[in-house]
Amino acid sequence: MSGATVQSATPAQPKSPLRTAAPQSGFAPWKDPSKAPIVRFENVVKRFGDFVAVKDCTLDIYEREFFALLGPSGCGKTTLLRMLAGFEKPTSGRILVAGQDITELAPYERPVNMMFQSYALFPHMTVEQNIGFGLRQDGMPKDQIATRVDEVMALLELGRFGKRKPHQLSGGQQQRVALARAIAKKPRIVLLDEPLGALDKRLRQTAQFELMGIQERTGTTFIIVTHDQEEAMTVSSRIAVMDHGEFVQIATPGDIYEAPNSRYVANFIGDVNLFEGKVVSISGGFAEIDWGPGLARFKSVAPEGCTGDQQVWLALRPEKIHIDLDKPTDTSNTIPGKVVDVGYLGSISHYHVELANGQRVKALRTNSSRTVDRPISWEDKVWLQWPAETGIVLTR
Amino acid sequence: MRRWFVILVPYLWLLVFFLIPFFIVFKISLSDIATAIPPYTPTFSITDIGGFFSQLDFENYTFIFQDSLYIGAYFSALKIAFFSTILTLLIAYPIAYGMARAPREWQPTLVMLVILPFWTSFLIRVYAWIGILKKEGLLNLFLMNLGLISEPLTIMNTNTAVYIGIVYSYLPFMILPLYASLEKINPALLEAAADLGSPPWKSFWQVTFPLSIPGVLAGCFLVFIPATGEFVIPDLLGGSETLMIGKTLWNEFFNNRDWPVSSAVAVVLLLVLVVPIVLFQRNQEKQREAGR
Ligand SMILES: Nc1ncnc2c1ncn2[C@@H]1O[C@H](COP(=O)(O)OP(=O)(O)O)[C@@H](O)[C@H]1O
Ligand SMILES: [Mg+2]
Repeated sequence: MSGATVQSATPAQPKSPLRTAAPQSGFAPWKDPSKAPIVRFENVVKRFGDFVAVKDCTLDIYEREFFALLGPSGCGKTTLLRMLAGFEKPTSGRILVAGQDITELAPYERPVNMMFQSYALFPHMTVEQNIGFGLRQDGMPKDQIATRVDEVMALLELGRFGKRKPHQLSGGQQQRVALARAIAKKPRIVLLDEPLGALDKRLRQTAQFELMGIQERTGTTFIIVTHDQEEAMTVSSRIAVMDHGEFVQIATPGDIYEAPNSRYVANFIGDVNLFEGKVVSISGGFAEIDWGPGLARFKSVAPEGCTGDQQVWLALRPEKIHIDLDKPTDTSNTIPGKVVDVGYLGSISHYHVELANGQRVKALRTNSSRTVDRPISWEDKVWLQWPAETGIVLTR
Repeated sequence: MRRWFVILVPYLWLLVFFLIPFFIVFKISLSDIATAIPPYTPTFSITDIGGFFSQLDFENYTFIFQDSLYIGAYFSALKIAFFSTILTLLIAYPIAYGMARAPREWQPTLVMLVILPFWTSFLIRVYAWIGILKKEGLLNLFLMNLGLISEPLTIMNTNTAVYIGIVYSYLPFMILPLYASLEKINPALLEAAADLGSPPWKSFWQVTFPLSIPGVLAGCFLVFIPATGEFVIPDLLGGSETLMIGKTLWNEFFNNRDWPVSSAVAVVLLLVLVVPIVLFQRNQEKQREAGR
């Protein structure tokens, strides 16, 4: 709970290592009916001419959340964020911040600050002037501005660069200045549009942890737009997966991964194997799935509202599949196959297994013991098996 | 070899089209007037180099600086150029701003419209203003028909006409660099300013205007420098009250046929303009560096 009590950034705090911002266990305001959301999108629609960029979106985001809008390029994430910042007006619907309807407010009247994808640092101002810009607009006294700017610069380890112009900074430094500028006014909500998009992969990962650290320490609500599922999984408390201007699923990273509600989500987040089939019977909460003539039926937890004879897809994460050279004793959900590809990654190995019907299945195995009797290799006949609880039956 | 060539060409250009003519004019400015062809003495002769140089002197410069007519003409030209530059800037800025904010697909057309007047001769366009500004000209006709005035306005042959002429003629030179610098401004910067609490008019002064300063300076120099030496406009539109050094130079050269004095006037004019020209170059260089 340490982060929860910190109201503002204080340079006196230890700088690193930044704690990973895995949401404090028990942090789930969206489950608490007594909590009011800090941001609420109410049936928000945005059209550009004939094109519908955002379709009837309704969403609640709670204080101190690190909320991710995730989806492929062009699905309307930025548009949603820009409507919250005030740069686009919803075609219909309302946006509320802390219960107040802000739909008609101009961007400069809104209690949100944005970190732009291009950073949008003022090229004619120094780092200090950039960070202090928002404070100057509020008419804060000069000495207080200087104190706050120093504070934020310390928080982002920008101390040495105060007098530089943006073009004299590296990409990573510019990114930190942009973030510093967005949090300088202590806004209730910080919006981040692909904030790390311009960084290379290694810097990105460090920056993700930095972002989480800053979010925790400032106790601010962050809303991040990203098309990078790993990034969304790493930083956020909840993710809204978007497709063509609609929310497909809104849930915690864990739920999104373990309980995707559609093939789209299952495919978008992580690796997944999909088996198309038909439910033939449901008993004791388990569904029996026929996925092809002459193939042993699968048994899996039946989703709510699932009926017999329904077309379904069984989603299986590669790491949930046991791969073995010998036929397992538990014969449910057991299928034979042939290894066609092996990827050895040190701690884990990837296997691509071809089934009798030609479908390929990905399986993972951790290389926990150094002395495996015989490692699984190309052309090996193997058995795949998984418990009935691990597969997810998807109906769309 | 090729590198040398690339460096050599611009210098050769400068030498042939600037330095050599300048030295010829400078030499004439040190000579004395003569009733001859060419109308000055001495003329250069290989056989008597000593005699040639001994005849050169700065008499004409002393003459210019002792005659209040010339000094007055310099100052008057600088004054007219200065105020025309300010006026041009005030008119050009909103135009350039509007162009830069116009939909992308319109912008090439708008730029085209700004440079369209160049397709007609400068002289003809200035003549056309006579038709507009004179007593029975279009402007007076129009205003009188509207009933706004009962007596025709006297604009022709006054400094007002000169200002109108200069502002009109040099407007594109102001608009284009302004447009270039305004158009380069990332629109996200204005969004960032708004996001941080700055209303649009404040954003203009905090973001747009400072970022357009290189364009403002470039435009001002591009108008001020040629306007100072302007001759056609004051000659055609101005009256007896209009004193500009370009006109004085012309009179000295063609009416008085005093080549040495008019050359000296030209050299001094050049020296006067060296300061803004150097400043202009500096501005251009700074801009190029910032663009990198
Ligand atoms: N100002 C606009 N005019 C027309 N279409 C737009 C505009 N802004 C965005 N769009 C369209 O809306 C869709 C969603 O855009 P955007 O929200 O930027 O997607 P994302 O951020 O998810 O990549 C895209 O197809 C884009 O072309
Ligand atoms: Mg986007």
